[in-house]
Amino acid sequence: MEEYAREPCPWRIVDDCGGAFTMGAIGGGIFQAIKGFRNSPVGVNHRLRGSLTAIKTRAPQLGGSFAVWGGLFSMIDCSMVRMRGKEDPWNSITSGALTGAILAARNGPVAMVGSAAMGGILLALIEGAGILLTRFASTQFPNGKE
Amino acid sequence: LPASLGRGCLGRWLLATRGWALLGAGTGSCSCLRWRHQPPLLLRAARQSIGTQAGGLKAAKPGGNSKDVSVQRALNEETLVSAAQKVKEAGRDFTYFIVVLVGIGVTGGLFYVIFKELFSSSSPNKIYGDALEKCRSHPEVIGVFGDSIKGYGEATRRGRRQHVSHIEYVKDGLKHMRLRFYIEGAESGKQGTVHVEVKENLETGRFEVRYIFVDVETYPRRTIVIEDNR
Repeated sequence: MEEYAREPCPWRIVDDCGGAFTMGAIGGGIFQAIKGFRNSPVGVNHRLRGSLTAIKTRAPQLGGSFAVWGGLFSMIDCSMVRMRGKEDPWNSITSGALTGAILAARNGPVAMVGSAAMGGILLALIEGAGILLTRFASTQFPNGKE
Repeated sequence: LPASLGRGCLGRWLLATRGWALLGAGTGSCSCLRWRHQPPLLLRAARQSIGTQAGGLKAAKPGGNSKDVSVQRALNEETLVSAAQKVKEAGRDFTYFIVVLVGIGVTGGLFYVIFKELFSSSSPNKIYGDALEKCRSHPEVIGVFGDSIKGYGEATRRGRRQHVSHIEYVKDGLKHMRLRFYIEGAESGKQGTVHVEVKENLETGRFEVRYIFVDVETYPRRTIVIEDNR
């Protein structure tokens, strides 16, 4: 399989960034559609126009924030992999914490620590879920994936 | 006297034009011309009209009395809330409580999994880390692969290679674990597969290495034995 033969890392950054933008844009679009629909004057035309305006304004913003988070996380992750020379769950947790810290840098050091803790815990939970899924999937196929 | 009559009439007329359809205002405006003959009645009606108007000009003191009355009436009504509503409230609270419990349980389970994976000495990740360190410090491996050696496990669909493939089995009442991961040299792109087997030591409760060897993907294939305690 060619996709596993090449190094994933530099290309993974673009991959993650784009994936995060799509998630944010689609999720934000749905959310803003409902919100714009409800916060519009009575009448279907008004409501549709209101929800369309809300989507056009706010969904790219949410997609952009998600993309920044995803891109930064992937960049730090790949840098840690390169530095440590081994691929670990520790990389993901530290990357999440550093991403949270960097994105809260405008609000001072205390906010950075809080944001780093939140990012680290979130990534730890996601890693735990990933490990559970992989172990569960591997026990399902005793002869196959080992 | 005519001046005070005019001012009184003007006052009543202003009250009436504010749209206060009250008995006091009505009687005030139509009895404006007769106020000289019935001053006490007029004054009493005017005071009533001002007193009972909730959002009127003088809502401070007379209005305060009515607000006290209304608050007391509301308290009495609250204690008569029906049993059906109480049951509904309790049901809603219970559902929320269950949801919170489930959330805490799931989060706690995930935390437990990740702690066991990262910190327990019998997790595959720890064994993989120790074996990788031993590989990195072995002179023969350095000779083949170079100085900086990268280690990784199985590739998942997203391209992240964190999962190290391992099998656990029990033999003679002792737990054994077999791992397999890949290493790669920085220059010349040489790749190798590392096979590790560990056995549980009942006294210390930790895993001891039985063997570690590296399969180098060159032609002809070479095998470097790092540790052999069989």
